[in-house]
Amino acid sequence: MTVTFAVNEVERVIEADPSETLLEVLRERLGLLGAKRGCNQGVSGACTVLIDGRPMRGCLSLAMNCAGRAITTIEGLAQGDTLAPIQQALVETGAVQCGFCIPGVALTAHALLATNPDPSMDDVREGLAGNLCRCSGYVKLIDAVRRAATARGQR
Amino acid sequence: MTRAMGFHAPVTLDEATALLAADADARCLAGGATLVAMMNAGLVEPSTLVSLRHIDALRGIEPVGDGFRIGAMTTHRETASDARLDGGHAAVREAAAVIANPAVRNMGTMGGSIAFADPAADYPPALVAIEAEIEIAGADGRRRVTAADFFTDWYETALAPGEIVAAIHLPAMPAGARGTYHKLARVAGDFATASVAVVLAMAGDSCCHLRIAIGGCGPTPVRLAEVETRLIGGELDAPAVREAGEMLARAADPVDDARASADYRRLVIPRLLARAIERARAGGAS
Repeated sequence: MTVTFAVNEVERVIEADPSETLLEVLRERLGLLGAKRGCNQGVSGACTVLIDGRPMRGCLSLAMNCAGRAITTIEGLAQGDTLAPIQQALVETGAVQCGFCIPGVALTAHALLATNPDPSMDDVREGLAGNLCRCSGYVKLIDAVRRAATARGQR
Repeated sequence: MTRAMGFHAPVTLDEATALLAADADARCLAGGATLVAMMNAGLVEPSTLVSLRHIDALRGIEPVGDGFRIGAMTTHRETASDARLDGGHAAVREAAAVIANPAVRNMGTMGGSIAFADPAADYPPALVAIEAEIEIAGADGRRRVTAADFFTDWYETALAPGEIVAAIHLPAMPAGARGTYHKLARVAGDFATASVAVVLAMAGDSCCHLRIAIGGCGPTPVRLAEVETRLIGGELDAPAVREAGEMLARAADPVDDARASADYRRLVIPRLLARAIERARAGGAS
């Protein structure tokens, strides 16, 4: 069966099995390896992508059910060579350890900052509650989101 | 990896129920938060998926009289962020706000959640305390059952094969009612170890309306009319609330599982109830 949706602003016509997840299609058919397969149950957050601007689980989204939607993966977050504020802040804060959770964290935080440009510490903690970092580097991840909020505010 | 055979995305409820009626192994797909997780785990292998995504009649929260009709495909995020769900109806809004995490709340739907009927999920006690009705659609038409009758056993509901949840109806609440939902979970985003939904109204110092439902402590939400009757007319003083909590703990049928022992759950029920009542009287969670 075929389904059409946009990935990082490029329309894609995908031939997929009805039970194939968006995560599988991104990684195995489109070669976009940023979204990770963590638990495949919606808990880890490693597969988080933006669907129509909101963070959702790639592993719980069936590709066939994404017809007409706009998907943003970590590969589409930077504008050319210019990192998005959250990506720049993650680098500057030294928040990236093994990196497995980072695509999901960056996309989730990017969406949080789009709706809440100056989040409190609690807002950030709540916003990232569904993104597990097994390096347990949460302090710097939260610092990075706050740093990105400040950077956005100064632009 | 499970591989389903068919996929349909009907635009009307009648088409959806006809497709489901035609194939006993077909499953309807709401937000995917539960069904796709189960497919990924190899626990279900539908022959056909019927996506409900394009059926407008299943969407949105509409006022009906002094109550609301919540379409089955309404996401937890939409419910959690709808400021019209205040007063007694806030119990449902507060329950939606503590389901899983933001990404799952962007996907998961009220219809999908209650159709799965995990006893540790957040909507069941809230909907029982608010005395909601579940609108069910099937190939033979529509029917409505109370939330208390909808949840029948562990992961079992009043849905017959081929039927789906179309909407959840929240009735009008008594004047001055305040609802709240208080959840105890081991970590943020987990299902409830135990939870309490309360809807109460006070007339001066005296309680004039009270509904209590306990979640996560047995196959279905625990509600005891006897407990409510004892407290209504009183001042909801600490000893009376404590006694009510102990009655509910005795009536509950919790199990030992990875989240907590049955004994622990019985221990916390009275404390959660006291906090929930205190919170409702103070105007809710936030």
